[in-house]
Amino acid sequence: MTALSQTLDRPTAARRGWRSDLALIGWQVAYEQRAFWRNRTRAFFSFGMPIMLLLIFASLNNGRIEQLHDIKYVVFFLPGIMAYGIIITQFVNMAGGLAIQRDNGLLKRMRGTPLPGWAYVTGRVGSTALTSVGMAVVMLVIGEVFYGVHLRAEALPAIIIAVLLGAATFAALGMAAVSIIPNAEAAPVVANVLILPLSFISGIWYPMTDAPSWLLDVAKVFPIQRLADTLQTAFDPVNHGSTFAGNDLLILAIWLVVGVRLAMKFWSRESAL
Amino acid sequence: MQDHAIEVEGLRKAYGDLEAVSGLTFSVAAGEVFCLLGPNGAGKTTTTEILEGYRARSAGEVHVLGHDPEHGERALRERVGIVLQEAAAQAELTVAEVLTMYGRYYPRRRPVDELVGLVGLDGRQDVRVKLLSGGQKRRLDLALALVGDPDLLFLDEPTTGFDPSARRQAWTTIKDLCALGKTVFLTTHFMDEAQALADRVAVMANGKLVAIGTPAEIGGRDTAPTEIAFTLPADVAVADLPDLGPEATISEPAPGRVVVVAPHGLRTSHAITGWALERGHELRGFEVTQPSLEDIYLRLTETTLETTR
Repeated sequence: MTALSQTLDRPTAARRGWRSDLALIGWQVAYEQRAFWRNRTRAFFSFGMPIMLLLIFASLNNGRIEQLHDIKYVVFFLPGIMAYGIIITQFVNMAGGLAIQRDNGLLKRMRGTPLPGWAYVTGRVGSTALTSVGMAVVMLVIGEVFYGVHLRAEALPAIIIAVLLGAATFAALGMAAVSIIPNAEAAPVVANVLILPLSFISGIWYPMTDAPSWLLDVAKVFPIQRLADTLQTAFDPVNHGSTFAGNDLLILAIWLVVGVRLAMKFWSRESAL
Repeated sequence: MQDHAIEVEGLRKAYGDLEAVSGLTFSVAAGEVFCLLGPNGAGKTTTTEILEGYRARSAGEVHVLGHDPEHGERALRERVGIVLQEAAAQAELTVAEVLTMYGRYYPRRRPVDELVGLVGLDGRQDVRVKLLSGGQKRRLDLALALVGDPDLLFLDEPTTGFDPSARRQAWTTIKDLCALGKTVFLTTHFMDEAQALADRVAVMANGKLVAIGTPAEIGGRDTAPTEIAFTLPADVAVADLPDLGPEATISEPAPGRVVVVAPHGLRTSHAITGWALERGHELRGFEVTQPSLEDIYLRLTETTLETTR
């Protein structure tokens, strides 16, 4: 039996400040990342799956798209699947992960510690954003090396901003979605019902050039189409204007605010225990 | 440090029409082990969760280490450790990683090696949490509650699922903590646990406090009649016993086994043993007992159930 020591690691030191909180978030990101990659199955499905889809679709379709200035299909598909990958890692992971943590009591345990709720959430979002950035980089490299999808250097800032804004928006929306997910078992179903149908009308898998205009209007309300379009604009080889899609970024930002507001509501409720 | 770690006055909590807690008043002194007992649905968990800051109260005053737990202040959380009944930890991380991670949240922290030894997880530091057995997970719960060197510890059925030796070890740890001046708020279904650890016990039933006191005195336990039991030799009958006075009741639950219930335990047992020694009778299985904490607890909670029916 070990006796209890009176002497402790940091006796009275370390008063709180933004520096130590920032360090705390950094550590949270590190622990979340470690836990993410240790669960190989989950890591494969959220990180590897979109990359696999890229390889399959790009290999199956060597053609060009007449309606889009005859660009190669893969040039069209790469930014779309990149958007889809971000949405899957952020939204599905966040909604599903939090639903599990709500059900198994981990969120309750975290709330009993001095770690502020926002620091925990920021740590999770930071970690999944890192995963999204990693996925985007892998896709860019695959596109460049295997399919000759050349990225113009001036498009890079637009892509970085789109990836980060998209990651934040879908993480916040995923967190808000936990409110309507009754239990962890239902999480993947609910998440897919919200994502998959919209992805089909958002111009991710094939161009929407022949779609009725009302369907396009519906799709444009939602952030999936907007994120896909932002990235497609940046990648577009025949676009000689701005690589920033201003309207898309604005709509994404609005969804981010909505998501954060809804997520905060969920977080402060007693029933989130 | 203030005199009271916890002060509760007129606490009420209603869920819709149902009042789970209806008017609780008690206080827990700093450095005390306070045990809340009660049947399932008595309002124990609701009360505990209000004190822990998980739930908002409907009415009343609550102070925990001088703070209102409802505000969820960091300054309070830094001084409180909580063992919940069922709560997962980060499954993919190892025991040592989880303890280090949680340690970063607190201004003071206990060393990981010490915590691991304290709860009997030696040699399991590098095992992932998801691979721990149920009992080992519970021990990790206790270690996680201690990581920030709390002044006040909430233990909600902390030894459920422990094997007997792990329970004894947990008790020793809790007693060690008290020796350092920590306050412990405990709920349990094990009466021996309350008896072994608690300075004071409170019994709840139907959202109300029905008794509060030391484990030895609660519910009039110390003044309750004493029970004396023994087995008479084969050639001796109950009728041969000496006169034990009008207040003693004698019964024979099994042939030759005698149970005497008397208000003055010492005097009555003296009369019985004196008689037996004089006649040269051997009284096998001789026992003198006060009602156990469990007897008192059952009596207290049963009567409340009957009166509310």
